[in-house]
Amino acid sequence: MNKRYLYLLLLPGFLFLAAFMLIPIILTIVSTFMPDGSLTLEGYMTFFRDGYFNKILLTTLRVSVVTTLVCVVLGYPAAYYISRAGIRKKSILLALSIFPLLTSPVVRSFSWMIILGKKGLLNTFLMNIGLIQKPLEILYTPVAMMVGLVHLFLPLIIITLLGVMENLDYELVRAARSLGASSFTAFRKIIFPLTVPGLIIGSILVFVGSLTAYTTPALLGGKERVVATFLYQNAMTLNDWQAASVIAVIMIVITFVVVGLMNAWANRLNPKG
Amino acid sequence: MALISLEQVSVAYDNRFILEDFNLQIEKGKLLSLLGPSGCGKTTTLRLIAGFLNAEQGKFMFGGKDYTNVPVNKRNFGFVFQSYALFPHMSVYDNVAFGLRLRKMKEAEVKQRVTRMLEIVSLGGFEKRLPKALSGGQRQRVAIARALVIEPDLLLFDEPLSNLDANLRVNMRVEIRRIQQELGITTVYVSHDQEECFSISDQVAVMNSGKIEQLAHPTTIFKYPASEYVARFIGFGNFIAFESRSDAGEDIELSRGALKFLAAKRPNGAGNLGMLGAIRPDDLQLWPSTQEAPLSGNTLSGRVQVSTYLGRSYQYEVETELGVFTVNQEMDVPFAQGEQVTIYFPKDKLVLVQ
Amino acid sequence: MKEGNRGLSLYTLLVFVFLLGPLVIISITSFEPGTVLKFPPEGFSLRWYRNIFEVSMFMETFKTSIIVSMLGNLLALLLGVPAAYALSRFEFRGRDTLNALFLSPVLIPGIVLGFTLLRYLIVVYGLPIYAGLLIGHTVIMLPFIIRVIASSLANFDFAVEEAAQSLGAGRLETFFKVVLPNIRSGILAAVLIAFLESFNNVDISVFMTGPGVSTLPIQMLTYVQNYFDPTIAAISVILMVLTAALMFIIERLMGFAYFTKR
Repeated sequence: MNKRYLYLLLLPGFLFLAAFMLIPIILTIVSTFMPDGSLTLEGYMTFFRDGYFNKILLTTLRVSVVTTLVCVVLGYPAAYYISRAGIRKKSILLALSIFPLLTSPVVRSFSWMIILGKKGLLNTFLMNIGLIQKPLEILYTPVAMMVGLVHLFLPLIIITLLGVMENLDYELVRAARSLGASSFTAFRKIIFPLTVPGLIIGSILVFVGSLTAYTTPALLGGKERVVATFLYQNAMTLNDWQAASVIAVIMIVITFVVVGLMNAWANRLNPKG
Repeated sequence: MALISLEQVSVAYDNRFILEDFNLQIEKGKLLSLLGPSGCGKTTTLRLIAGFLNAEQGKFMFGGKDYTNVPVNKRNFGFVFQSYALFPHMSVYDNVAFGLRLRKMKEAEVKQRVTRMLEIVSLGGFEKRLPKALSGGQRQRVAIARALVIEPDLLLFDEPLSNLDANLRVNMRVEIRRIQQELGITTVYVSHDQEECFSISDQVAVMNSGKIEQLAHPTTIFKYPASEYVARFIGFGNFIAFESRSDAGEDIELSRGALKFLAAKRPNGAGNLGMLGAIRPDDLQLWPSTQEAPLSGNTLSGRVQVSTYLGRSYQYEVETELGVFTVNQEMDVPFAQGEQVTIYFPKDKLVLVQ
Repeated sequence: MKEGNRGLSLYTLLVFVFLLGPLVIISITSFEPGTVLKFPPEGFSLRWYRNIFEVSMFMETFKTSIIVSMLGNLLALLLGVPAAYALSRFEFRGRDTLNALFLSPVLIPGIVLGFTLLRYLIVVYGLPIYAGLLIGHTVIMLPFIIRVIASSLANFDFAVEEAAQSLGAGRLETFFKVVLPNIRSGILAAVLIAFLESFNNVDISVFMTGPGVSTLPIQMLTYVQNYFDPTIAAISVILMVLTAALMFIIERLMGFAYFTKR
């Protein structure tokens, strides 16, 4: 194969990404370390000394951790059920999981505004049955963000887990049962360990997605900020580009560290090597 | 003069040589097979001839012309792939017509040639089918028709039968040989199956790690392997390393310690080099040691270690002072495990290799 | 065993109620005749569907969204198809690195990418906002195009390509006559998936708004923050119908296996 052809095929895409993604990002990173031409960490120091930013970072992390955990708790059993269902039921449930994934996040977050609002479905229902006297303040709180994010990312973890569970060899379960394991023990000792890498990858996707999500917190968070909305606010409302760049770099670093660590972990656990 | 000539060719992959200073000549109209285990360089040789690979060094001459730098699509060689590589989106007819249309042939003539070629491979009436609606054997025949219809100057086969089941494989190889001889087309055929190669070839080249170990007519290779490698590859399961050899008229006398063996010289006096005796399990004979051997000399006494039933015959692992020998023997009442036996080595079956 | 199954199926049912319930509710409320979103609605009316067509901002931003997604798609195809082919077809040094680079736009937080593009494409390079929008969308579509096409090339037997060459076809001829027809449905699926990804995008578009330039999702976002009438619910229903239709076509073209692969 002539190497010239190869480069000819790859070059346009490479140049495009280099000019319109790599270089802007590298320049952004560099700019945070030398705002006035000399190397300094001052940009970051001010940030981490700033109580407000720390609070936002903490809220974001907390929301992301809870979202990830809830997604795992809701998604794992559902994915397992789907993977064991008959062909017809499986394809319907798979379609129903993929549909929300392809649907606009604006639509999906907006639907929770109808449900969680002060005069929303949930409050009306709870007041009608007399459980509460005055409406709960859920919308525009971290709880609302979390609900919206779980709704946003649940399909992702379900189909990721499905991908792993579909490839499981259920002869292994039969083998374990023939050796005397109860069906629960067989699940715990065979199925679960084999799905852990998928669980980790699904969790990374949810965690990183929640950490960097913009639309849902913007709609459901109200005045509560997460790093993504804070970046937007700094860039577009406050016009503080230095601050926005620092947040951008912090987000990139967190993303790559999390993805790198979790991938390494998932690879180590992968029995197929 | 040879039609095809590879001269001092080297091919490297990942800085490792697959072929080094490789030479091969093929006569016009002959079918030559390249035989060997995977990784021996046979497919590389074939792909080099086809033009899918470029040599680092050396020349490829075809019909007296230098073809080394002629691109694949200008060589006019037919190639039949292991996976058949039929165009999945085209009907049988369009698959076969593909090469002709590229040659800007008139549609009427395309039709005539394709139809005739499909007759030759007995696929008349299948024109409209898509490849996925054909059986493995039919796909194979489409692949052959597609390669033949362009009237190639050379036909190349890369393990064409390995995806077919055993019965079909035998039928198809007869078919391939028939078509090849009918059209008199020079052919290079790659396979790891010795029976397949022996049955259809004019010449077989047994390859080992990028070198040709032996190039000869199939019967010559079958009877007189030139090296230990070839002997092992074609089923000589037993070896005796002799310490000395001397001429004894029609035979060669061999010795190892106190033991003496005779090996017959070949009719034409050639070969039989080296001091390693090789013999097939089928060619050894066994007697119970209680019974006196009908022949003297070329025998060895031993004890049956394992006996397995192969259907037509029994296979024994016999332990002797020279190691374990494998013997296949047809018999009604098999030897028992542990029984003392005498192994006889017929002198015309004992071959000396290097 | 049976007991456990029943428990699990109930649990799964609840998960799907959570997943789809809000989308059902939004659909029902879109038929509200009054001016405030309510559930259940107080009657049945298509008033808010009509309103979509009467508010020019929705129609304009819808047009922008469509144009940007389609043009960006075309651009991503021109860049992505050759790259996907090269990455699937050949073994070469640096392939894994290049592959990672081409897929990296999905890894970089969208909001970060959006901001960087605003800062450098619009402000530093001085490109018009519309161009920035188009480029940004092309960047985020590229990984989807490459991944889907690469996965359809993964099932392609490249010996077929060699067969065409041995029969006399040149490299380009081989690609257009033999490779392309066999990955046509993969390319179409890639286009549709990338289209949805771009059409629904907020993270890039939110930075690329200016006089007369904005996409539909951004317009919806702004509208929701100011009004609470059922117009957005009506648009949502239309978008969901569109999504379902495209999803159906994608399934026909390549099944759902692509989605469960990671």
